[in-house]
Amino acid sequence: MALPLFLQTIEETGFSTWLRESESPFAFYFILLFHTVGLALLVGANTVVDLRLLGVARGIPLAPLKRLFGIMWIGFGMNTVTGVLLVIAYPTKSLTNIDFYIKLTIIGFAVWVMQRLKSQVFEDSSLSEEAMTARGLALAKWSLFLWFGAITAGRLMAYTYKYLIFP
Amino acid sequence: MNFANLHLLMNHFPIIGTLVGLGLFLISLVGKNEDLRRASLIIFAAMALLAIPTFFSGPGAEGAIKKLPGVSEALIERHHGAAMLALLFMEITGALSLVGLWKSQGTSRPAGWNWSLSAVLLFSIVTVGLMARVGTTGGDIRHPEIGTGHEEVIEGSTVSKLVRRFEPSPGKFAELMTATKWWWAFMMDLHFVGLALLIGTVGILDLRMLGFAKQIPIGPLHRLVPWAMAGFGINLVTGVLAFTGMGDYYTYDWAFWLKMLAILLLGLNVAAFYLTGAFESVEGLGPGDDAPPLAKFIAASSLVLWFMVITLGRYIQSFSDTISVHK
Repeated sequence: MALPLFLQTIEETGFSTWLRESESPFAFYFILLFHTVGLALLVGANTVVDLRLLGVARGIPLAPLKRLFGIMWIGFGMNTVTGVLLVIAYPTKSLTNIDFYIKLTIIGFAVWVMQRLKSQVFEDSSLSEEAMTARGLALAKWSLFLWFGAITAGRLMAYTYKYLIFP
Repeated sequence: MNFANLHLLMNHFPIIGTLVGLGLFLISLVGKNEDLRRASLIIFAAMALLAIPTFFSGPGAEGAIKKLPGVSEALIERHHGAAMLALLFMEITGALSLVGLWKSQGTSRPAGWNWSLSAVLLFSIVTVGLMARVGTTGGDIRHPEIGTGHEEVIEGSTVSKLVRRFEPSPGKFAELMTATKWWWAFMMDLHFVGLALLIGTVGILDLRMLGFAKQIPIGPLHRLVPWAMAGFGINLVTGVLAFTGMGDYYTYDWAFWLKMLAILLLGLNVAAFYLTGAFESVEGLGPGDDAPPLAKFIAASSLVLWFMVITLGRYIQSFSDTISVHK
């Protein structure tokens, strides 16, 4: 099966070539760095909420943890932007790799769970902590599982690609 | 300064520092001295941290001398294997010491003997013994006046013959780590999971100390620290394993060494937090309370240093071969 030509078109643009081949420290690795930082913010903050719902550090009051969702969205935004740039740098490598689509699917589910956590557990300020925990327990477990899956799928991308650049 | 200098400088810490720690630990047992016991646990933890860059400076030291006349490859390999075994026990001792320190803090808990202290005693004694072996096998490489003078490996005593059976073969171990890309992928995967766990928990604590989300009381947030240590532990193990698989790749890379420096500075940061009274000053802070300036400084430097660790880690690939082999 022939690869779609638009991959080559993107790859041959000046921007894509610069991202990929430039010696500048602000090119590919810089973007990859902020993709990792975004991951730390998004998954890190979500993990704290999940752990708390699962009963870790019960002294932490649940309601104020609502503030952490802001950090999660900053991380998600960072990773969307850097993610797009990474795909522009290596369009063939990412878009012909099924692992990439698995990663995006898992992330989609993880973000959906994240939103349900916010709306089901944290939105109603009249809920008691017991009620909040009851609503959030299953979601917290799914959240941890899905983010672990997303990190794994992302990491495996470096080992599962078929084409580095358009052949 | 080359890698041989660095290795000879750093090796004093895990060999002598651990011995000093054990001495103080034993004295604290006899004298039933809580403060001395805590100090010895801190020394064990610090030596465990310093043992890592010491171990990492080995391949560079090897590179500096292996072509010299009279230097035996076999003796180097023996020393390397001894170091791997000793490092395992050193890190276990360090981890147990952190558990012991965690259990000893807090006024509500009565300070007494517990399982972690028995384990520290056992593992530290084994570590000191193994470190002594690392020292002597290292000396054999380049000090014919103290060694057998032979170039092949000769185990003198029954004890050393026994210990030798447990020492891994560095070459075989490296092959194992790099045998399949899926194992490497798995290790790197865990490295990222560890980083998310670590940065998430430490990051939230640091941000709260800096004034973010003031509705959260600080004391309960601190209960997340063992999870941060679990994340750090995962990364320490996967990091050391990665290095044993591709030692030369990391050795001649500036980003890797700067990352190690940042981690050592973070060790200082942790020590500062607990030993300067900053922890006590924030432990009881409730919703709406502001942390004192020292605690804020420690929190800010922690965030900056962890960002540097992530940055330098990501740039390892980009900075490969930036240190010349002849150093």
